[in-house]
Amino acid sequence: MNSPWQSPEMTRRVAKRNAAEKRFRMIGQAAIGLSLLFLALLLVIMVNNGLGGIDWAFLTGSDSTDASLAGVWGAVKGSLLTMGVTLALSFPMGVLAAVYLEEFAPRTWWIDWVEVSINNLAAVPSIIFGLLGLAVFINTLHLPRSSSLVGGMTLALMTMPVIVISGRNAIKAVPPSIRDAALAVGASPVQTVFHHVLPLALPGILTGTIIGMARALGETAPLLMIGMRAFVATPPSGFTDPASVLPMQIFLWSDEIDKGFVQNTSAAIIVLLIFLLAMNGLAIYLRNKFETRW
Amino acid sequence: MISFIVLLAILGLGLAGWFTARARAQLLYTGRGSLAATPGYHGWHMALWVIVPAIAVWALWALASPYLVQSAVTGLPIASQLPELEIERHAILAEAWALADNPDAASFHPLAAQLAEPVREAKMRFGLIGLALVCIVAFAGGAYGFTRIRAGFPARTRVERAVMLLLLLASLIAILTTFGIIASLVFETGVFFSHVSPIDFLTGLHWSPGTAVGTDIGDNFGAIPLFWGTIYIGAIIAMIVAIPLGLMSAIYLTQYASATMRRWLKPILEILAGVPTVVYGYFAALTVAPLIRDFAAAMGKENPSTESALAAGLVMGVMIIPFVSSMADDSIAAVPKAMGDGSLAMGATQSETIKRVLVPAALPGIVAGVMLAISRAIGETMIVVMAAGAAANLSLDPFDSMTTVTYQIVQLLTGDQEFDSPKTLSAFALGLVLFIVTLILNLVALRVVKRFREAYE
Repeated sequence: MNSPWQSPEMTRRVAKRNAAEKRFRMIGQAAIGLSLLFLALLLVIMVNNGLGGIDWAFLTGSDSTDASLAGVWGAVKGSLLTMGVTLALSFPMGVLAAVYLEEFAPRTWWIDWVEVSINNLAAVPSIIFGLLGLAVFINTLHLPRSSSLVGGMTLALMTMPVIVISGRNAIKAVPPSIRDAALAVGASPVQTVFHHVLPLALPGILTGTIIGMARALGETAPLLMIGMRAFVATPPSGFTDPASVLPMQIFLWSDEIDKGFVQNTSAAIIVLLIFLLAMNGLAIYLRNKFETRW
Repeated sequence: MISFIVLLAILGLGLAGWFTARARAQLLYTGRGSLAATPGYHGWHMALWVIVPAIAVWALWALASPYLVQSAVTGLPIASQLPELEIERHAILAEAWALADNPDAASFHPLAAQLAEPVREAKMRFGLIGLALVCIVAFAGGAYGFTRIRAGFPARTRVERAVMLLLLLASLIAILTTFGIIASLVFETGVFFSHVSPIDFLTGLHWSPGTAVGTDIGDNFGAIPLFWGTIYIGAIIAMIVAIPLGLMSAIYLTQYASATMRRWLKPILEILAGVPTVVYGYFAALTVAPLIRDFAAAMGKENPSTESALAAGLVMGVMIIPFVSSMADDSIAAVPKAMGDGSLAMGATQSETIKRVLVPAALPGIVAGVMLAISRAIGETMIVVMAAGAAANLSLDPFDSMTTVTYQIVQLLTGDQEFDSPKTLSAFALGLVLFIVTLILNLVALRVVKRFREAYE
């Protein structure tokens, strides 16, 4: 009873410390709760405003000055064309670059420069890529403005570093024993990589690619720079036609004064979020299905 | 269209070459070890010889043919009617060019309509010449490749050398992009600084590029209000939201939450990072901004504007939460478990351990994460375009409308397209400043993270 550990002062201190512990824990819960609340609020408001606007006419129509006639098909098609260009350029380039850097690159000073520039490009603000696209593709090479070709090329430059980084991690995860086995039975280094390492790394590379493409699909700022904010009333029929993309359509509609466009904007946001959710879901599925623990 | 056909033709010839060479190599096969490379590699070797030179020639031809067509057309008798003045001449030729591609295109000059037919003919003629040239080169390349097919020819090493070259070229794209960004920004900024002095630009307090004319042009290109707005929204308001929420979320998820909770909450939190910025911008403009305006009015501010630094900053902060949280998560996880265990063994409570041991030990990593978050926030465009406003105010009041570097870049480059006016060029100068600042933040942060990881390994 006379132990100093049970003195009233000590009991008080322990109680205080336990209270502090509880408080800290609650702050943590509050922080995460607040973040999730914001996400829920955002989704609920968008669904509430936009769900009524989604019908067949909205999904198959193109942009119009009349809110009740305007639809998203033109923008969706523009997005598909743009993403097609982005994928066709950034995937092969990104995978080949990842293979080179991970498997063949000599440890020299200029390879360090390549690595630094890839890591940095992955963090450069997207609007800077827009400035690059404007200066190089439009003002120097005179490619058609506001076309999905130029949009796709600009986004490909932005997506490529993401694919290279995830590709390198996937290739790094393939155990050296696979390479040793292939080399031991007489495969050349190039055969080893293309016949054995790359197929095993492919699920990881695809996951990274889908995540990069999802980012590109939601991107608006660089496309503003290359003039993809034009009013496009007919869906683009080719890569060089003036096109709009889904996020750009959202941005354009959000500027309209007409009340009817509030519903259209929210409805287009729902369509975009569904696309993104599907892509991310596919990435997670791929990762879970093909992930190998060596 | 024609380039598409040519590409298809080249690839078709390449395919034919692949089969021919493979068949030829198979004929040479007399038994185990009689060939230095498998027939398939002989096929690839020949296909490369068909395709690569042909595509190179076609690319050169595509670059040269507009000039050839131009000189062919201006050599015609009808072209003598063209005006002497370079600009008019150029305009009419450009119009004729458009008419040749598309007969329905609008035409303003009668001469252009007359020139359209010759332009079309010349284009057709040079297109066909190019096609013939490409075919000749493809066949010549193929013939050379075909003569190489011998039993002892190391086709595989040759093909692999070409593959290595391709890999090298792919990895150089990244450095080319960086170089392209720097070169284009620096070049246009240089032109801008020939109109406006860099000192005016970097230290001036007044920004209104729309009214900039005459000799005191530099007075209207003072970018300090822009820099202040960017820092105030991206590095102050957004971080006041993102750092506590992100850090506490990370601490809760790593230290308190059960494994199941963590497995569910972490991906949900990451959805916040996956929502496109244009959606955040719309949310800020539609929901958050009016709330803040009403709040400002209730606080006694007179005519608060809908566009406020606070609305943009708050929403941007929420967008950054998962970013800060995952960086903090990684840094805390990198602290050796023995340090936390030691503290707990001494009788410290969990929260005391976190506050006194884990967070201080993880601090370099957390600071680096915050730097990366700031670099992302100041480069963020759509939220500020939709919620922050255009007025270049130098103010401390978060309810004021403020503008940022990214907002002004968008503002200056959409709309009118006189490319050489100081107004549009100033966007590139702003872009250069943004690029340099984010570059420094990224490089320092990456270095800190690397050193921090090494310290605990």
